[in-house]
Amino acid sequence: MESEKSLSYYFNEAESLNSTNFKNKIKIALLSSFTINGLSEVLKVKCTKKNIDSKIYVGGYNQYNQEIINNDSELYAFKPDITFLLIDIRNMLGNLFFFPYSISDTERKIFVNQKLSEIMNLITSYQKNSSSKLIISNFNIPTNSPFGIAESQDQFGFHEMIQTFNLKLQENLLHLDSVYLYDFDQFVRKFGENNIFNYRNFFFGDVKIELNCLPYLGNEFFSYIIAHLGLSKKCIVLDLDNTLWGGIIGEDGFDGIHLGLTPPGNVFHEFQSHLKSLSDRGIILAINSKNNFNDAIRVIREHPHMVLKENDFACMIINWENKVDNMKAISNQLNIGLDSIVFFDDDPVNREFMRKNLPEVTTPELSSDSSELSKTLLEMNEFSTFKITDDDLQRSKTYSEQKKRIELEKTTTNLDDFLNSLDIKLIIKRATSFTIPRISQLTLKTNQFNLTTKRYQEKKIKEFVKSSDMLVGCVQVEDKFGDNGITGVYVINKDNPKEWELDTFLLSCRVMGREIEKGIMSHIINIAKKNNVERIKAKYVPTEKNQPIEKFLKSCNFEKIDDYWIFQLNKSFKNPYFLKLTIE
Amino acid sequence: MSSKLYSIIAKVMKVPIDSITDQSTPQSIPNWTSFVGYVLLNELETQFNVKFTIDEVIDVKNISDIKRHLKNHGVNSNE
Repeated sequence: MESEKSLSYYFNEAESLNSTNFKNKIKIALLSSFTINGLSEVLKVKCTKKNIDSKIYVGGYNQYNQEIINNDSELYAFKPDITFLLIDIRNMLGNLFFFPYSISDTERKIFVNQKLSEIMNLITSYQKNSSSKLIISNFNIPTNSPFGIAESQDQFGFHEMIQTFNLKLQENLLHLDSVYLYDFDQFVRKFGENNIFNYRNFFFGDVKIELNCLPYLGNEFFSYIIAHLGLSKKCIVLDLDNTLWGGIIGEDGFDGIHLGLTPPGNVFHEFQSHLKSLSDRGIILAINSKNNFNDAIRVIREHPHMVLKENDFACMIINWENKVDNMKAISNQLNIGLDSIVFFDDDPVNREFMRKNLPEVTTPELSSDSSELSKTLLEMNEFSTFKITDDDLQRSKTYSEQKKRIELEKTTTNLDDFLNSLDIKLIIKRATSFTIPRISQLTLKTNQFNLTTKRYQEKKIKEFVKSSDMLVGCVQVEDKFGDNGITGVYVINKDNPKEWELDTFLLSCRVMGREIEKGIMSHIINIAKKNNVERIKAKYVPTEKNQPIEKFLKSCNFEKIDDYWIFQLNKSFKNPYFLKLTIE
Repeated sequence: MSSKLYSIIAKVMKVPIDSITDQSTPQSIPNWTSFVGYVLLNELETQFNVKFTIDEVIDVKNISDIKRHLKNHGVNSNE
C-alpha cells in the first residue's frame, strides 16, 4: 500500500486548489449506502493533476434510492457525466447478513433474484432520467460465515449467494449501454478485508472503507474518468538495457544479459509478457534506446527468451541521439501525440530529462528494484478503456503492416505511384451495433485529423442513428498489406435539406497521408447531390493538433465564408483514382 | 511542548498552530467536523503508532482528552 498518498494529503491539496479552466471537464456524482467522505477530495485532486476540471456531487448519506427514483432530485439537476454507485453488502442483505440460514436455500435463491431485480429497476430509472454513465459496484464477499468451516457444505450458502448475485449483475449489465460494473469485491480482495474494514470506525461513523484505502479506491474510479474523457494512453515506449532485459548489451554481450526463466532474467521475461498482452489488446509498443543498433537488434531477433518480437514494435529507434529527440521522432512516425505516450526507462536521469523536456509524455517513476517493473505496469490506470474493440485487438498487426508500407514508400519515388501500388479499398459502412462502439471510440480518441473534436459516447451515436436529421457513417480501409479496420467517421446534420453540415469528420492518424479523407468526402458529396442538397458546410474548430483539417478543406475547394467552410455542390469533386470505394 | 501533536492538529484542521490550546474543542476549531475528526484520528494513529479504542474516540471532547488517551498508550505528547 505504499504507492498512494494519504487521505490527509488529498485533503490539504483539495483545499489549496485554484479554479482552473482546462479543456477537459467532467461532472462526477458519487452515490453510496455508507460514508464515503474524502473520496470527492481524492478525485478532485487527481483530476486537477491531469488537467481535468471536475465538479463533484456527493449524494446524501444512504439516499441513493430516493435520489434516483425522484426525478426532481438534486442528483438529476446536477446532470452528471459519470456516476458511481457503491452499495455495501450489509445494506443489500439486511438481517440476512447475520442470519442467512434462517431461510431455506430455495428462499435464498428467490431473495437474490428479488434483490437483483430491485437493482436493475433502479438502473432503469436512472437511465430514463439521466444520460450519465453509471458505474455500479458489486458486493464484497465477507470472509466470515455463521456456518464457519461448514460454509461450503450447504446448498447455495451465504458466500455462494453473494457470488451468484455478483455474476448475475455482471451478466445483466452486459446488455446495457453506459452501465458498467465496478468490481468492489476485487478491490477488497486486493487490500484484504481486515485492511479495508475497521469495526471501530464502522460503529462510530458507518465508515466501511478505511481512510487510508480511500485514495486507492479513488484511483480505481479515476480509471473510468480517463476512459470517459478519451484520455487513455495509446503507446508504451521502452528503453532496452535494464528495462526489457537485465544488464547492458554493449558491455555484457549477447550471452551476458539477463533474460530467461530463472532469476534474475525472469523479472524481464515476465515484464515482456505483460507488455505483450497489452500489445495484444491494442497498446502500441516502441523502442527508444541508446545502443549500437546491431547489438540490440540481434537480441530482439535471436535471443531465445525475447517474448517481444521485432513485429511487436511499431517503431524502433536505437541510436546514440538524445532520447527526447528520439521520442519526438517516434511520435511523428506513429502519428500519435506525445500526450498519448508512456515512457519506461530504468535510468532516473533519462526519466528526469524526459519529464523536463517533454512533460506531455507520461514517465512513471520506477523502483531501483527491477522486480517491481511488472507491478508498476499493471497498476497504471492510464490504459483504461470501457470496451476493447475488434480494432484494438488488430492494432499491433496493423502497425506492423504499416512498417511495411513505410518501407515500400521509401523505395517508391512518386507519391501517386506509391498510393496506387497499395491497392487501397474504402468500405463505407453504416452505424450499426457492430460499428457504433468503434465510431464512439474514434470520436473520443482522434485529435489530429478531426474537424470539430466533438466527443461522443455510444449512447449519443445511437440517438443520431435514430434521428432523421442526422447521418452517421464510418469507413474501413484495406490495402494490399492488410486491413486497417474502421478508421474514418462522419456525422452529418441534415436538418436543413439544402445545406448539410459536417458535425464530425475524422480520420485515424493510422491512415493519414493516403488521401482517404478525399475518398470519404467524395462519398459524402455524392450522397448530398443525390439528395438535391445545394451546399455542404463545415465549421472547423481549431485545436492545438488539428491543423491538417484546414489544409484539407482548402484542397477540397471549400471556401471560407465567415465562420464556415462551404462547398457548393454544383462544383465537381473527384475521388482520387487510386482509391476503390464500396458502399455496404 | 506538545509540538508534534499540535502541528498534526494544525495541519489536519488547517488552523495556525498558535491558535490551538489544550482546551480547543470541535466548537472552537471551525474545520473540526466529524469526518475531519476521523482524518485527525487516522493521522495521530499513524504518526504515534497507536490504536485508540472506540471508548477513547467517543470520549474526545477537547485536545487535552487526546493527550490523556495518547498517554494511556504510552505517548507523552507534552514532551
